[in-house]
Amino acid sequence: MYGGGNVFEATKFDDLQTEDPAKLAEFEARIARGEKIEPNDWMPQLYRKQLIRMIEQHAHSEIIGALPEGTWITRAPGFRRKMAQMAKVQDEVGHAQLLYSAAETLGKTREQMLTDLINGKSKYSNVFNYPAFTWADSNIISWLIDAGAIVNQMANAKGSYGPYSRALERICAEEAFHLKYGHDAVVHMATGTPKQREMIQAALNRWWPPIMTFFGPSDKMSTHTETLMRWKVKMASNDECRQQFLDMYVPKIWELGLTVPDPNLKKNMETGQWEYTEPDWDEFKRVINGDGPCNAERLAVRRTAEERGAWVRRALLNPKAKYVKPLA
Amino acid sequence: MNELAIKDLLYKLADDQLILGHRNSEWTGFGPILEEDIAFSSMAQDKIGHSLAFYTLLQELGEADPDTVAFTRNANQFHNSQLVELPNGEYDFSLIRHFLYDNAEIIRFEMLSQSSYEPIAKVATKLKGEVKYHVLHANTWIKNLGSSTEEAILRLQSSLNEAIPYALGMFEPSQYEQELIEAGVYAGEEAVKAEWLKRIQAVIEKTDLKLPDLATVEPKLGGRYGEHTEHLQPLLDEMAEVFKIDPTAEW
Amino acid sequence: MSLTSLDPRVTRLNLPEEAQPIEPKPELDQFETYEAFHQKKEGAAHTYVGPVHAPNEDVAFLFAKEQYSRRFACVGLWIARTEHIQVTPYAGDGENVYEMMHVEEPAERSEEAEAYEIFHLKKRGKAHTHAGRVMATSYQGALQEARTQFGEKGPIVNVWVVKSKHVLQSAEEDKDMWTTIPEKKYREAIDYKVMDKITKYKEEHKTTAQ
Repeated sequence: MYGGGNVFEATKFDDLQTEDPAKLAEFEARIARGEKIEPNDWMPQLYRKQLIRMIEQHAHSEIIGALPEGTWITRAPGFRRKMAQMAKVQDEVGHAQLLYSAAETLGKTREQMLTDLINGKSKYSNVFNYPAFTWADSNIISWLIDAGAIVNQMANAKGSYGPYSRALERICAEEAFHLKYGHDAVVHMATGTPKQREMIQAALNRWWPPIMTFFGPSDKMSTHTETLMRWKVKMASNDECRQQFLDMYVPKIWELGLTVPDPNLKKNMETGQWEYTEPDWDEFKRVINGDGPCNAERLAVRRTAEERGAWVRRALLNPKAKYVKPLA
Repeated sequence: MNELAIKDLLYKLADDQLILGHRNSEWTGFGPILEEDIAFSSMAQDKIGHSLAFYTLLQELGEADPDTVAFTRNANQFHNSQLVELPNGEYDFSLIRHFLYDNAEIIRFEMLSQSSYEPIAKVATKLKGEVKYHVLHANTWIKNLGSSTEEAILRLQSSLNEAIPYALGMFEPSQYEQELIEAGVYAGEEAVKAEWLKRIQAVIEKTDLKLPDLATVEPKLGGRYGEHTEHLQPLLDEMAEVFKIDPTAEW
Repeated sequence: MSLTSLDPRVTRLNLPEEAQPIEPKPELDQFETYEAFHQKKEGAAHTYVGPVHAPNEDVAFLFAKEQYSRRFACVGLWIARTEHIQVTPYAGDGENVYEMMHVEEPAERSEEAEAYEIFHLKKRGKAHTHAGRVMATSYQGALQEARTQFGEKGPIVNVWVVKSKHVLQSAEEDKDMWTTIPEKKYREAIDYKVMDKITKYKEEHKTTAQ
């Protein structure tokens, strides 16, 4: 589950002048032909750096994203929800595994990535710094956060890096279940008892502002962005993703008689664009930099899990083994 | 066939798996390595699924529907062994419990797939392949960790010592034991236990672990008759927290 | 003081109130990698699905089974240590890498030949698929042999070569482990059908999607 909320730490635009022009031309021509780049191919440093950062953040978002819904894993009501909630949270961990592996093919080890996550050096999707107060919050996450993630991931799956595309294809196939499961749960709540309806509306109210920030602020179009788009690293702008999400899901929210807590939300029929109250980007920035309601807990859980499992890993460490990055 | 005897058997099978599946699901997201986190969660889901299959057989015998049975009973109405309700502790305890439990479970499934009571035989045959993986998983980990570092061996040994009285409690005979054996439903708890001992010993022998002298171990009994540790009721309360907001609602 | 969470599981972890950084993880804290190949149905070629980190191949097998087969049809699994797989250069889409490579004649032919598994990548971004098994005395020899036996049917953009003895294969007698029982439908999108509920609600409450 991952959006585009990572723009506040864009890496410096490396000078492409230092790259070998012949190799760069060949690389760009390959992408222009619609071919994928594979791990052993020559690639510009900027491409490698940006991809590592993006895939790593995506992986972190999955492993941390398992926590808000995990909050309700032991309390899911009834067999059907209990098993599905377990399977869904499990999938998020599985996605992290796939994505860390894809990032590894670019030369950063899983050890380094996990260290950077726990020490706050690399980020994850900001929405997971918000709490899941009730079972209904967990339903809203399953439906709408996953819906947002799918919009983003479907775009990225068409990107140029082979291992990331392969991982995303698998992930999107699995997310189809998440989305349907989340929608199913929300529909049951919205069409259920007055208490259930009240719970789901309250959860929607809590989650709407974070959802609106999920894709990140409007992109600043720079040479940097243009290059990344030409290299098919960045596949769609944050605003495009947000518009697509609103187009697909606001009607589905409204048909359940639920209220979206933004009085300015409406589709401008002339432009075909959704209008909405600009999200609070200052809060977004503050939370992403550590000051959200759950940042400390999320990282503490990860740290504690790593520490509690350390003896297992120590026990089976083979001193003669040598690390080879995964092939694809 | 005495229906009470069958129901008693089904309840203990179902309750064991529900409670252990629930406990194992607590590890999701907290496992020692991502891949193991995924494997452990799959097994937790399998167990919940198995309990549902057995509760469904109970429903066919006139008991309440699976959700009501699982989410509204109190601890003293549960027939699971005390082993499965104990808190997860550290990963060593969860692994040892998994090893002791699943090596017994696979024997039950093997026997029940041959059962004279056809509905159980069908379910056991269908689900056996999953339990096979659970045993492979447990045995592989115990063999690997049980002959690794001193730290790991110490941890596993102390968890084994702690778990073994509860593990013996899994084989507490039911009041219908003789009837079930005579009717060919399965060979009974004594037989399961004897085979279990052989199998766990075969694995433990390949490690630096030692099985405590069972003659000196007092089995923790009572679970099959609704006597539980202080850990079960809070587990059930947590599990039913949302369900009980409105048990008649469709969640 | 420890942190109280909305998640009862987290509360039970007794997290420290103050965040402490961790020491950088040592090398191989996450173990070495193994590559997994799954078989979708009886008779189908094994196809690459991805890596797992594991301390040895037995554990890698346990891991790969759940990571790569829990959600998709699968009847068998092969595992090979990444280190044991030899990789050719990558050709461009539409090309045949065998034609672009100078494959050396194996220096000696006297040694006893052994089996090698050959995997082909047909298009960039797709997955390597098992092309077949050859007998050879070296990786180079295996590649040469593979070219003769299956190298004509291009395009082939990349080849992986691994000794058969380095591939752990799921056992025939464990076939039942791969059966996905119908009750697992709760993990599939198709199991969730709420249109009826939505339609009924819309009729009763006259809501619209506008």
